[in-house]
Amino acid sequence: MKRTILMFIISALVVASLALWVLKGHVAGNTREMIMVGTAFVIVGFAVFLGVSRLRSHKLREPAEDELSKKVMTRTSSLAYYISIYLWLFVMYVSDKTTLPSHSLIGAGILGMTVVFLLCWIGVRAFGMKNV
Amino acid sequence: MYNRIKELRAKADISQQELALRVGVRRETIVFLEKGKYNPSLRLAHDVAHYFGLPIEEVFVFDDEPGGRPLG
Repeated sequence: MKRTILMFIISALVVASLALWVLKGHVAGNTREMIMVGTAFVIVGFAVFLGVSRLRSHKLREPAEDELSKKVMTRTSSLAYYISIYLWLFVMYVSDKTTLPSHSLIGAGILGMTVVFLLCWIGVRAFGMKNV
Repeated sequence: MYNRIKELRAKADISQQELALRVGVRRETIVFLEKGKYNPSLRLAHDVAHYFGLPIEEVFVFDDEPGGRPLG
């Protein structure tokens, strides 16, 4: 239960930070920044979904985590790590070809990693993990 | 490997939720097992088989999968 509450607190902090960032006018409103803010909100939505799922399990007197959920997370993490290496390689390649400041590229890379994690999680659950 | 959980559950007339609670996992894990999308740990396989009062090999059946290692 403590971890579930922590997930909601972190999600709320991220939403508050994003709201401050947008409302204080630090977002220029161009397409690139809107995509970044949108992606961040999608990731927060994913975290909230996981939190709600854990709350539902708690309500049904199920364990919040069991062997399947732990294995899904382990498999997702390892897969996302491998793919992220290629993502950063791509970011390094792009950094030579673009005039974007380095902090924007790093921010895009970090957001990309979270998107890769989300896609891997969806993929692992969709295809199952029979022989892991 | 395939399993007979769905069939045994229907015979015993219990829900996925009830079986999950009895063996200490989430309902989702039972769904994954029944769909053949997840091979359980030895502990979970034992608990499920024990719940139905059967030996593990009568609930979880090894077939000749391509690439599967022969026993013995």
